[in-house]
Amino acid sequence: MSKLRAETVTSESPLHYFSKISSHSEGSSQLFNGDLEFGVVAKEIGLGCQLNLRGDASDEHFLAGAEVVLGVALPTVPGTYHYSGDTVVYWLGPNEWVITSATDALGLEASLRLEIEGHIAIVDVSGGQTLVNLRGYGVPTILKKASGYDFGIWTGGPPGAGRCVQTTFAKATAIVANRTNGSFDLIIRRSFSDYVAQWLLDAGQEVGCRIESS
Amino acid sequence: MIQINRLPAAGRTDQNKALNFTFNGKDYQGIAGDTLASALLANGVDVVGRSFKYARPRGIFGHGPEEPNAIMQIGSGASTIPNLKATQVELYEGLEASSVNGWPSVNFDVMGLIGAFGRLMPPGFYYKTFMYPKKLWMTYERFIRKAAGLGSSPIESDPDSYEKLNQHCDVLVVGAGPAGLVAAREAARTGARVIIADEQSEFGGSLLASTQLIDGLSATQWVAEITGELAAFNNVQRLPRSTVFGYYDHNFLAILERVTDHLGISTASGPRQRMHRVRASQVVLATGAFERPLVFAHNDIPGVMLASSVSTYVNRFGVAPGNKLVLATTNDNAYQTALDWHYIGRTVVAVVDSRTGPNGDLVEQVRALGIQILEGHGLIEAVGSKRVRKALVAPINIEGTKVTGSVQVIACDLIASSGGWSAAIHLSSHTGAKPVWDDAIVSFRPGESKQKERSAGACRGTFGGLDGLLEGANAGAEAAKLAGFGTGVVQFPTPMVDQIVEQPQQALFLVPHNKTTSRAPSQFVDFQLDVSAAGIELAVLEGFESVEHVKRYTALGFGTDQGKLGNINGMAILANALDQDIAETGTTIFRPSYTPTTFGAIAGRDINHLFDPERYTAMHRWHVENGAEFENVGQWKRPWYFPQANETMQQTVDREGLAVRNSVGILDATTLGKIDIQGPDAAEFITRMYTNSYLKLAPGKCRYGVMLKEDGMIFDDGVCACLSENHYLMFTTTGGAAGVLSWLELWQQTEWPELQVYFTSVTDHWATATVTGPNARKVIAKVCQDIDLASEAFGFMDWRDGTVAGVKARVFRISFTGELSYEINVPAHYGRHVWEQLIEAGSEFNITPYGTETMHVLRAEKGFIIVGQDTDGSMTPADMNMNWVVGKNKVFSFIGKRSLERSDSIRENRKQLVGLKTLEPNAVLAEGAQIVNDPNQPIPMAMQGHVTSSYYSASLGHSIALAVVKGGLNRMGDVVYCPAADGSATAAKIVSSVFYDPTGDRQHV
Repeated sequence: MSKLRAETVTSESPLHYFSKISSHSEGSSQLFNGDLEFGVVAKEIGLGCQLNLRGDASDEHFLAGAEVVLGVALPTVPGTYHYSGDTVVYWLGPNEWVITSATDALGLEASLRLEIEGHIAIVDVSGGQTLVNLRGYGVPTILKKASGYDFGIWTGGPPGAGRCVQTTFAKATAIVANRTNGSFDLIIRRSFSDYVAQWLLDAGQEVGCRIESS
Repeated sequence: MIQINRLPAAGRTDQNKALNFTFNGKDYQGIAGDTLASALLANGVDVVGRSFKYARPRGIFGHGPEEPNAIMQIGSGASTIPNLKATQVELYEGLEASSVNGWPSVNFDVMGLIGAFGRLMPPGFYYKTFMYPKKLWMTYERFIRKAAGLGSSPIESDPDSYEKLNQHCDVLVVGAGPAGLVAAREAARTGARVIIADEQSEFGGSLLASTQLIDGLSATQWVAEITGELAAFNNVQRLPRSTVFGYYDHNFLAILERVTDHLGISTASGPRQRMHRVRASQVVLATGAFERPLVFAHNDIPGVMLASSVSTYVNRFGVAPGNKLVLATTNDNAYQTALDWHYIGRTVVAVVDSRTGPNGDLVEQVRALGIQILEGHGLIEAVGSKRVRKALVAPINIEGTKVTGSVQVIACDLIASSGGWSAAIHLSSHTGAKPVWDDAIVSFRPGESKQKERSAGACRGTFGGLDGLLEGANAGAEAAKLAGFGTGVVQFPTPMVDQIVEQPQQALFLVPHNKTTSRAPSQFVDFQLDVSAAGIELAVLEGFESVEHVKRYTALGFGTDQGKLGNINGMAILANALDQDIAETGTTIFRPSYTPTTFGAIAGRDINHLFDPERYTAMHRWHVENGAEFENVGQWKRPWYFPQANETMQQTVDREGLAVRNSVGILDATTLGKIDIQGPDAAEFITRMYTNSYLKLAPGKCRYGVMLKEDGMIFDDGVCACLSENHYLMFTTTGGAAGVLSWLELWQQTEWPELQVYFTSVTDHWATATVTGPNARKVIAKVCQDIDLASEAFGFMDWRDGTVAGVKARVFRISFTGELSYEINVPAHYGRHVWEQLIEAGSEFNITPYGTETMHVLRAEKGFIIVGQDTDGSMTPADMNMNWVVGKNKVFSFIGKRSLERSDSIRENRKQLVGLKTLEPNAVLAEGAQIVNDPNQPIPMAMQGHVTSSYYSASLGHSIALAVVKGGLNRMGDVVYCPAADGSATAAKIVSSVFYDPTGDRQHV
């Protein structure tokens, strides 16, 4: 019987097969913005920790416990997120958040369970969704093509906070958030990620689109 | 070919840029800035099409979307577009155009020879003639379509791309004429987000053809200045070539932007058209007005045009469509056309004014030039065949109802007519606002606003230049204020415009003839569909009174111009025939689209592989690489079967099924819905959702359950596992996942908020590989060392945490095949890795990947139902012979329980799930086949039920079927029949629905 060693384990992020795929080849005669700059670059930051958290936002112990572990307060204003370092907490609903973090999902879940008492739900969804950063001058237009949400009213938030929304993205869904550097983050579901990537390449034709994945 | 009608003055065109094009196969040349219409007129092309019913030669009549005659097929092959108006097609190098009407040619028309049929084709002709016999309608329709020439759609798929954009703005200004431009400028200054859209190639609207001075500048210079100002605002989006074609609820408007249509196929890159779906806080409508033609005899002969169109061709395009002009008018405004014509050095033979004693500013200017003005006269008939040669003019009474003197003949080759202006109230009408007739301006005005919009300028019935500018500025400022920007006070100084004093116009909708309307030569109201004044009067004589009925009976306004030219005249003639006023007669409601919109733009990029999302599992690429055929299950692509070289589907399914029964198979079960449930009341909640109880389900254990809707009917099924105290994992069907999650949330949030429980979808998080078959344990043992796989330690319907192929996994001993099964769940990132390791570990047992088809056969052999296939929303657990899954002694009720006691739920003779075994073992029944007791019973036969699932079972060596049969559970051994469409009937015996291993020994090992 052959025994498998841990180091032979391979993992694939949802956009694994889209590593460096473009709407136009590098040698394409079509130039964007005067050079080979693509109007939309979608970079997957995959294989990170994503936890779904549910709990009672009116429970001060719950809020305090989460803040102690996460190092950042849970956002309670609809359509906002808070971040500190690598940890980002997105508001999804009055009793629901999603946490992205560079730490280990199981460890973070254990810490939260240790710190918070009472009725909560913590679910590891790291395998089910992925984070994609969209940058480039064509991104505002791509967002207009993808969603009926008015991203134009988003203005810069205070330090450590930003805007986010769960909305339709083409015919899939996504959590969309603004970043301080002017780019946008998408959190999309794994099973829809091929569709979203194909859609981005197609919708990005006008300005050129490249997908990067690790 | 020389452009015989081209003027030295260029207007808005560029005479240095020649553009070649073809029309009906002939080569022509136009210049940059031309429309197809202006280029054809420049080349002296008189006949551009044939009319719909009478096949009369028709020429270019207008200059915009109101054009009824110059309807063109543009381009060829896959990119060809039917039914464009030549007045709206910008000329480009290499443009190919042909008339959609007029087979085989516009100048020699077969239908024209039989045009005398016109007399035999009264309104309602089609209804009256082609109604019977009904079966011939298809033949009639082909004939009518061919003769009418409605253009042809491309037969290849569309090579162009189309974009859709969702836009949001504070103020949307529709129309970039004078009122729209100042409205946009006022709104822009407040900081509001402004979109201004206009259907023409450049902003300016009527000013592009105007000789007026504004602020001391020529009209076009003034437009350039204000357009430049708008461009300097970064909160303004300017959309030329963009038609706002629909105004929908909640201030949602749709704009069709023609991005590259004007460039032709060769040079275009980027999308052809872009649809903007706009949510606007406030809307300013500044859509202008349409000139009304006068209705007189033979007013459709080429060379009869709108007065404003003549001026537009002269001033904007540098084209004089003729030499000797007769102008027929009811108002001062049209005198401008006489002035424009005179100043390019052509002859104005006469102005025929229906009024007596006109003396407005423009009239006096014309009079001072020595141009003959025939006051109190009507132009009663045009004479000519393919071009106007003469105008018949006669004095008419003051009411404009009778010819009162002798007819005078005037030689001419161009007749311009004006019956006043109709406000373009279309978009306002889309909102549901009911237009209001105003005798003072002889036009409808927009009705009371139903949405956050206001009209300004000519579309509001304000036809004077200065008044329109004031209205526009006020509307822009007001709209911005209501959207939360600015004070509502106009900031920019009012533009300086010379006020022109005009005398009142006359309301004249039908110029009288010396014969009665029914006897006079045709006086056309709707050119596109050949509706004449006599036709409308006849409709009234035949008893039609409602404008809506008359429209449909005569086809008034049913062409692609949607009556922009003829509707008001038609309604007025109808009102007169009914002896009503126009307000009483009412107007028809305009509906979207304002102008025809391509399907491509509506579809956008939701086509081909992006029409519907395809959901893939983490193992999808492996399936593709290994030759899987796929099946759509909801939006998922699931492997259907894995054919090897030269295998038929049946051979594949036989091989896959036998592999599972005899050794081991592997299935990608990732797509099953998975819901994580946590909370102290989780077990109680789950127990209320399923028919059976989960209160005593221990950690490490699984249970199968069925969910009912309130009506007691099965709507989903699956296994629920207890992960730990207060923590459960619920599996749903693949297609039902989203519906079940909503169902749980609905009941928790609305009915049982006191139950502390949270739900989270984990469908995408887990990749699931099902390893099943007698050798399954041996395969798992090779890749999993930390779970005791012995059947005493890890039995059927247990689950364990462990490590599979180096990955933390949850392993469930649940089975949909009836064999020893392990469902291995790992986070999806590791899905392909674990799958490949399982394949490798199973290679010594010839592990066989199988798809959904084999899965269906295997579960049918065991009599396991598929919700949605064997059930259809009208089946109770008892119907499925599954009373064992209903907990009779649960403390709290469960959803659907009460309905199980309804008289209908417990009546005898309900359809019940049974097995069917065909007497001929190899005959496979058709799924959906009806079941009867006596195949020879005369129709209608008594239906006993239907086949829900049917396959050939390789492991059993005969076909099997599941069916629902009335009272079937008490009919074991009966022979029933399934009649087929060809008249044959297949005999089958009713048997137990469990064909294979009825004691369940094989899954319990």
